[in-house]
Amino acid sequence: MSASAPLVETRDLVKHFPLNRTIRESLRGRPPRAIHAVDGVSIGVERGQTLGLIGESGSGKTTLGWLIARLYPSTSGEILFEGEDITRLRGTALRIWHRNVQMVFQDPIGSLDPRLRVWQIVGEPMRAQEGLHGPALRERVRELMPTVGLPPDCLDQYPHEFSGGGRQRISLARALSVNPKLVILDEPTSALDVAVQAQILNRLVALQRERRFAYLLITHNVAAVRYVAHRVAVLYLGEVVEVGAVRDLLERPVHPYTKALLAAVPVPDVRRRRARYRITGEIPTLITPPPGCRFAARCPFVIDRCKVEAPRLREIAGHPGRLVSCHRAEEVAEISPDTFIGTVAGRTAPPSASDGSSGVIA
Amino acid sequence: MTGPILSVEGLSVDYVVGAGTFHAVRDVSFEMLPGRVLGIVGETGCGKSTLGHAIPRLLPEPPARIVAGKVIFQGVNLIEVPKWKIPMVRGTGIGMIFQEPINSLDPAFRVSFQVAEAVRVRRLRESGRAMMFTGGSMPFDYSKPRPVRTAESVTHPFVPSAPVSIGGATAQEQTGAELGSLTDEVLDYLRLVRINDPETVLRLYPHELSGGMRQRIMISMALSEKPALLIADEPTSALDVTIQAQVLTLMKELLEETHTSILFISHDLGVIAEIADDVAVMYAGHLVELGPVQDVFEHPRHPYTKALLRSIPNQYQDDGPLPTLPGSVPNLSRLPTGCAFAPRCPLGRDNCRVDPGPALASPFEVAPRRVNAAACYYPGEVEALQ
Repeated sequence: MSASAPLVETRDLVKHFPLNRTIRESLRGRPPRAIHAVDGVSIGVERGQTLGLIGESGSGKTTLGWLIARLYPSTSGEILFEGEDITRLRGTALRIWHRNVQMVFQDPIGSLDPRLRVWQIVGEPMRAQEGLHGPALRERVRELMPTVGLPPDCLDQYPHEFSGGGRQRISLARALSVNPKLVILDEPTSALDVAVQAQILNRLVALQRERRFAYLLITHNVAAVRYVAHRVAVLYLGEVVEVGAVRDLLERPVHPYTKALLAAVPVPDVRRRRARYRITGEIPTLITPPPGCRFAARCPFVIDRCKVEAPRLREIAGHPGRLVSCHRAEEVAEISPDTFIGTVAGRTAPPSASDGSSGVIA
Repeated sequence: MTGPILSVEGLSVDYVVGAGTFHAVRDVSFEMLPGRVLGIVGETGCGKSTLGHAIPRLLPEPPARIVAGKVIFQGVNLIEVPKWKIPMVRGTGIGMIFQEPINSLDPAFRVSFQVAEAVRVRRLRESGRAMMFTGGSMPFDYSKPRPVRTAESVTHPFVPSAPVSIGGATAQEQTGAELGSLTDEVLDYLRLVRINDPETVLRLYPHELSGGMRQRIMISMALSEKPALLIADEPTSALDVTIQAQVLTLMKELLEETHTSILFISHDLGVIAEIADDVAVMYAGHLVELGPVQDVFEHPRHPYTKALLRSIPNQYQDDGPLPTLPGSVPNLSRLPTGCAFAPRCPLGRDNCRVDPGPALASPFEVAPRRVNAAACYYPGEVEALQ
């Protein structure tokens, strides 16, 4: 399995969004600052498989998705698609390459043009990639409709006539229309109700079985990842903190942040309501992040080394196929996320009020 | 045992718009006991927010119209209270926390001013300078003697007893001298919601705060009015999970400290499981199930509750397609006769479609036997559903 190269692979991918300096800062010769949205991320998506990306807002998961879809230029690093670096593709070559990677965006209202009819929206990639138009295009769209569970007679409707789930199906049909190799799903169900969410997730899994799409599923919904993904990567402040097979990682998380994230997910089970592993503080700013581990300020297991030396992703004993970026991974590995750690609040330095500036990034 | 703090009886709310009349809330009845948290769950458009806004009469009328029912708060039917008296109920009587804290805070004012405003309103009402909703037979009670004016109460909230500098702010930065005497209390409330370094936060504007901080400010504002009932409309839905967990933990701790009753509206069954004592499930404007949270989640007696619980992808569940419900939510302007859920219901029989919708037995009547009330003709068969 791992002998063949993954479909898409990033190597030390970096994306910094430069901030404008104020006039005063320029005059004083302050160096320009940047938001470190994605900082040295190396992940891979196998053919026909799903990689889940989970993390909170501001963790860089959406930026990473956009980078892989080449919707943003990267700052540095490589994106290998079928072994070829695509970060330097330009113009026509980029346009042709785009048929390999399609995207389903988070906001099902904002990502569909309200003035276009369904067949025009869904047919747009085919028009751009295959030069189809008119009745031929319409016919292709009609054939596509049942695969996403939409009635074929809705071709002339407008997006506003659909419910949230219906709009997300239109978005999915558009992404699948050119038979891409990779579909990037950016929070495909976060705007939907649970019942509708289940329908869309079922559809995604069925489509993958039939047509061997690879998915990059970007979400904060841990349960959706468990259901759809094969492997999962946990992002925190632009860095991957843990990667592994989905069930293994969700059941036996090693990194303290992963544990905290999983423990924070509310579960509709009253018996699980008890004091659980909690982290204090909020996501700190991504503008010139501190040296050392980025989770150090919120981590209940922080030691002095964490504050000076950034941990690297490494394999740890007892967890095959898992990569964790934590100095104390072995020591904390067996601590259950369900445990109440009474010292959490006391040991962590309280975040200063200036942490409020993280609102800029969120 | 005191009586319910709020009882809603047969409340129905319509929205009259060009396209027709939408029955957003239909014949909803429930009671809230003091110190308990009632969670209201349901999908988008089921009427849970309309219900939450109808209780303190926050719905714009028109297009909304309360067509029937009573909302009895502290012995007074709020539906019959003249509109101009309603603001007296809000804040000190019924507090409200909304979903998007950034939309409910004024971007042009510092945190200090906004929290102080809430504290000031409460002080004015308590000191008798502003009319206060006291319950009883009248919307507010004139018969009570005004509080005796001591030296302390003479200190008008608008006049500081001593010039107080707020966390190093210059005199010009203080929006009016009244902030001074309020500052200490404002700081207390910021500390209550576990804001670190409240002196600094006071001087910030809402846009300088993160989502979790903003929501904590909203909670502190609501609590600073010492409401008898707090309505929280999706208070954590806009927050990240770790921040959401923090806010929920905070609310649970505050509950123990303040004994406020909370009506907690959320679409997230997990959040409800975390915080609520009782839960009410809504579908297409109807209350379909009501009972203690553990009973409802573990032994649902309405097929919709069962379906809703089963459609959640569970991180501890095994493989296999997620169970889904056929069909979609009915159009609220053309509700079917009979049970609103009948067309999608696996138990649906002919009489479900014909007979008027089944009524919800009050769970507090069924008590002390722990049975949750369900608006269903065949609640006994729900357990066996797959």
